[in-house]
Amino acid sequence: MNAVDGSDHYNKTSDGKWHPQPPPSLLTIILDTNPHAWALLSSTLPLSVAIANLLVFINAHLAFNNSNKVAIIASHTQRAEFLYPIPSQGDLVQANGSTHNGAQHGLDGNEAPTADDANHYRPFRHIQTTLLSAISKLYKATTPESLTPTTSIAGALTLALTYINKQSIALSSTTSSKTNADPLVVPSDPNSVQPATLNPRILILSVSGDLAHQYIPIMNTIFACQRLTIPIDICKIAGDSVFLQQASDATHGTYIALTHPRGLLQYFMLGFLPDQSSRKYLVSPTAVGVDFRAACFCHRKVVDVGFVCSICLSIFCSPPEGAECLTCGTHLRLGEYGGKPAVLAKRKKKRKKGTDE
Amino acid sequence: MAESDDEYVQDISDDEVEAHQVTRGAGAGSRATGQGSRGAGWEVTRTWENVVEGADGTISSTVEGLLEAGKRKRLLKDTTPLQRGIIRHLLLVLDLSTAMSEKDLRPTRYLLTLRYTKAFITEFFEQNPISQLGIIGMRDGLALTLSPLSGNPNDHISNIHKLHEQEPKGQPSLQNALDMARAALFHAPTHTTREVLILFGSLLSSDPGDIHATISALVSSHITVTIIGLAAQVAICLTLATRTNSSLPPSQTYNVALNEAHYRDLLMRATTPPTTPHSTAHDSGIKSSLLMMGFPSRIVDPSPTLCACHSRPTRGGYLCSRCSSKVCSLPTQCPACGLTLILSTHLARSYHHLFPLRNWREVSWARASRPGQRVCFGCQTLFPERPASVRLQSTSGGQSHDRMSLATSRSQPQPPKAAHTNSANKDGVSESGRYECETCERFFCIDCDVFAHEVVHNCPGCQSREGLLGSVTRNVRGETEVLVEGVAG
Ligand SMILES: [Zn+2]
Ligand SMILES: [Zn+2]
Ligand SMILES: [Zn+2]
Ligand SMILES: [Zn+2]
Ligand SMILES: [Zn+2]
Ligand SMILES: [Zn+2]
Repeated sequence: MNAVDGSDHYNKTSDGKWHPQPPPSLLTIILDTNPHAWALLSSTLPLSVAIANLLVFINAHLAFNNSNKVAIIASHTQRAEFLYPIPSQGDLVQANGSTHNGAQHGLDGNEAPTADDANHYRPFRHIQTTLLSAISKLYKATTPESLTPTTSIAGALTLALTYINKQSIALSSTTSSKTNADPLVVPSDPNSVQPATLNPRILILSVSGDLAHQYIPIMNTIFACQRLTIPIDICKIAGDSVFLQQASDATHGTYIALTHPRGLLQYFMLGFLPDQSSRKYLVSPTAVGVDFRAACFCHRKVVDVGFVCSICLSIFCSPPEGAECLTCGTHLRLGEYGGKPAVLAKRKKKRKKGTDE
Repeated sequence: MAESDDEYVQDISDDEVEAHQVTRGAGAGSRATGQGSRGAGWEVTRTWENVVEGADGTISSTVEGLLEAGKRKRLLKDTTPLQRGIIRHLLLVLDLSTAMSEKDLRPTRYLLTLRYTKAFITEFFEQNPISQLGIIGMRDGLALTLSPLSGNPNDHISNIHKLHEQEPKGQPSLQNALDMARAALFHAPTHTTREVLILFGSLLSSDPGDIHATISALVSSHITVTIIGLAAQVAICLTLATRTNSSLPPSQTYNVALNEAHYRDLLMRATTPPTTPHSTAHDSGIKSSLLMMGFPSRIVDPSPTLCACHSRPTRGGYLCSRCSSKVCSLPTQCPACGLTLILSTHLARSYHHLFPLRNWREVSWARASRPGQRVCFGCQTLFPERPASVRLQSTSGGQSHDRMSLATSRSQPQPPKAAHTNSANKDGVSESGRYECETCERFFCIDCDVFAHEVVHNCPGCQSREGLLGSVTRNVRGETEVLVEGVAG
């Protein structure tokens, strides 16, 4: 297509070789929609302003490469759900089961009841109307009882990963000519090789903290992202979360805690717009120190020194009562603790001199 | 796999049967060593016979069903949470004898083993980040320490890399290697596993003494030995594997690789922490204990300071949570106060073994046609609509499929037209293309099913549903919360 307007010479690099189109990037944005947190921010950065900035950022991302894609997931107080793409009415009455490409909804979504604005690029407008209506629907469905200071990041991350996985499969099946099956490199997990064709990344717009009760599912998603080399970028507007810092560090994402929330758009454009392939050539902002503390399984307390069951690796903030692991029920040896210095001496002896049989 | 071995007893070719006064494999050969047509014939599975024309006269639906069955088959496994030895001490024993220069595994057994070993080391430390690995070689009747017990994958990989410059030579000695492994594992703490994994290419073992005495010593030291054979089943290996793993069937502890991919699968299977059943946990010598660990935070100093581990000036590092000494990398032990320092992400790698995601069940057309869920909850893909041809069958047989086990649906008489749906059902494929999580009752597509169970180990629905957030995926966690409440109240 580019050959028509002669723009394909831009793909020629200094070494004189022709390079194919860069792979499409899939930007998955997780928007923390906790009403409490946004209410606290209303004097500096109201949600409406943040969403307006976000839309500009999304448009910039889509304009980079015409095969770029975007998905937006709301991490609400007690649930996570897709804001974009969502199946349109047109899709739901369709009776065929062919694979639908999420980002294409923008092109065939002519049924949008809004007035056609000739000055608005149609995919941009489609995302805008879908996102705004989905958010207002989400807030209308929120009852005062469901308001908690937390947000379901784990669910949103899991949804983001399943969506990315599906999109990668859809993309690799259309370009399957390149994936010749080499029996020698059969990976134990077929999913680990697929995202190479798609350039996925996750951006979390976080306004609330207190995620300790979702510790295990969050860690599962971080580990999955690590295996699939999907960076998790964190844009921390308010609140504090040790686990999000760990997520971006483990997946080589960008972590930015905003000092001036009003400049959200600038943070977006300068910090989060480059995709994985461009980041190799840029110095991206990274968090200097990373908080690697864990949450205990018994009280969901964040701890920096914990007691770990050797059978199941559950973390406890103090030796469990009755010396029985609360997770796996194993009776843990009493002699191993009973005062920190005693534990210390025991550990040293075990590693250095071997152990008692 | 063991069942298919018996037919090929006669196939041990003469060049493998070398004359020596050695512990010889008297067992059945599992594989023809020649590359001729004789060895290839029995591997053929008649896949074309499974293809049945669908109602519309094409085979596309059946082919898709078969693909889906393949994905699903790997998935349907026992999800009962088991105790696993997550802190492991494993010694990998490589055969470096002349038998390894055979070319039946491409390019040679030796080169393939080296390549797979490197992949194994990486994957082992991915899955078992706080475990220790050591590598022993068997060459010229001797046992050699190729790489001492350590927790650093890069050391092991560079040591394996050096082997590329050498050639396999002489005969292997299982006894010498096992004695060396036993000595190396003697100091392993009692709360860890003690494992030996042998990659054995020969059909014999040239030993200085009685190997059965060594096996008895291994049993009394609670060391388990698993073996992957490259040539054929050898009697002494079977004895060794059975005697040191009294609670496990031999099919889990001694296998012979059929081809390159199978070899890799067998090797990668060993990266999953071994199960330690409740009843035998005590007998197997693993004593559970409570370990104190620190979760340090990373710092970057404005100017370089000395690290406690190497006394080198560095800027970045981790501060011990107890004594604030600076160390370069994790996991490690604080050089000053001895506290085990670890990243919480290291521990988290094992959590999916503890809280496995339950298998999702197939959804019948009758259940699928309930209103509400027309797209996959995980990826927003539209589900296929019920084809008109299935309508009749699903109203007669489909209702009873609902909430029923696979075994019952298999035994049910089906109209002949539904032959392909029926055969697909046996493989755990859902006729409606939907899979349902029993906890949150959301429908998912096959891709999300595979992905959620194999990679992310979370249910997207349970994690996103109101009221379910706190109680995580497993009932084990439910018990935990009950326990905690009991303690508090
Ligand atoms: Zn606690
Ligand atoms: Zn435990
Ligand atoms: Zn150091
Ligand atoms: Zn210390
Ligand atoms: Zn799906
Ligand atoms: Zn669920």
